[in-house]
Amino acid sequence: MFHLITGGSGSGKSEYAEQKLMEYASHSKRNKKRYYIATMMPFGKETEKKIARHRRLRAGKGFETIECYTDLKKAAEVLQTKETGSVLLECMSNLVANEMYDPSGAGGNAEESILAGIRKLQKVSDDLVVVTNEVFSDSMTDNPEMEKYLKLLGNVNLRMGEMADLVTEVVYGIPVERKDIKK
Amino acid sequence: MKMIIGGAYQGKLAYAKKQNPYIHWTDGELCEGDNIFEAEGVFHFEKYIQSMIKKENWSEKEAIDFASKLIKKCPDIVIVTQEIGYGLVPVDAFERRYRELTGRICTVLAANSDQVDRVVCGIGVTIKGGDTK
Repeated sequence: MFHLITGGSGSGKSEYAEQKLMEYASHSKRNKKRYYIATMMPFGKETEKKIARHRRLRAGKGFETIECYTDLKKAAEVLQTKETGSVLLECMSNLVANEMYDPSGAGGNAEESILAGIRKLQKVSDDLVVVTNEVFSDSMTDNPEMEKYLKLLGNVNLRMGEMADLVTEVVYGIPVERKDIKK
Repeated sequence: MKMIIGGAYQGKLAYAKKQNPYIHWTDGELCEGDNIFEAEGVFHFEKYIQSMIKKENWSEKEAIDFASKLIKKCPDIVIVTQEIGYGLVPVDAFERRYRELTGRICTVLAANSDQVDRVVCGIGVTIKGGDTK
């Protein structure tokens, strides 16, 4: 099962995603293993603080963390060598930026690389939860680099939206259902 | 407690006034410090948060403590607030903090609200409470 979770800044989407993953992992027919794919590169005090906050939120929930700043396929390969479980990937907005701007990233092939990685992750996990970000309601359209980033993340979100069984937008902690293939 | 949220210029306040015709409204942009706890209805709530972060240099804990205090002191308040977290992460550090803390505060308040309505193009959709759930 693939659950895509989106929301704005400070919307509570991470907390919701972690809660859903715990729920899926506790499903009787599933394996209990829980993996967390962290995509945020620690540069500077602010990102370090953010990462520390996310670690605090996850503490005691039994997650095994796999750091993956670029090339999701590698994370999927690592998962393949481990016991199957539920996987939480956070956050697509970071991964897209890393693929575009980091020297180790896929650059012009970022979209294909990410989507191939997502498909691979689906294969190697019981349940896959991906957190992405609503960053599309801005007035800054005069910056071509920003436009490129928005278009790429937008495309990745669209494709994931098609692939997902469930899509939820989290609004100040309130889950607003956007897609449920069972309905 | 009720919340009415949405983007800028979506008719949030007009919608809120229609839903709550008999209460007194306070402008969050002009409201100072503890005066917020006297309000029946507050609009531009995000501006109140912004000025408090500026004046009091709120940490995340202080921001959440404020939300808890508001829940305790004003269980019937109606809050109209702009959703400001839907753009690209701003380059300016203060703007980033403002967006983040506003989100944290509003998430705590939404969890304690009886009803949360989201207004787009003047049309309110209840996403929590009311007749929907």
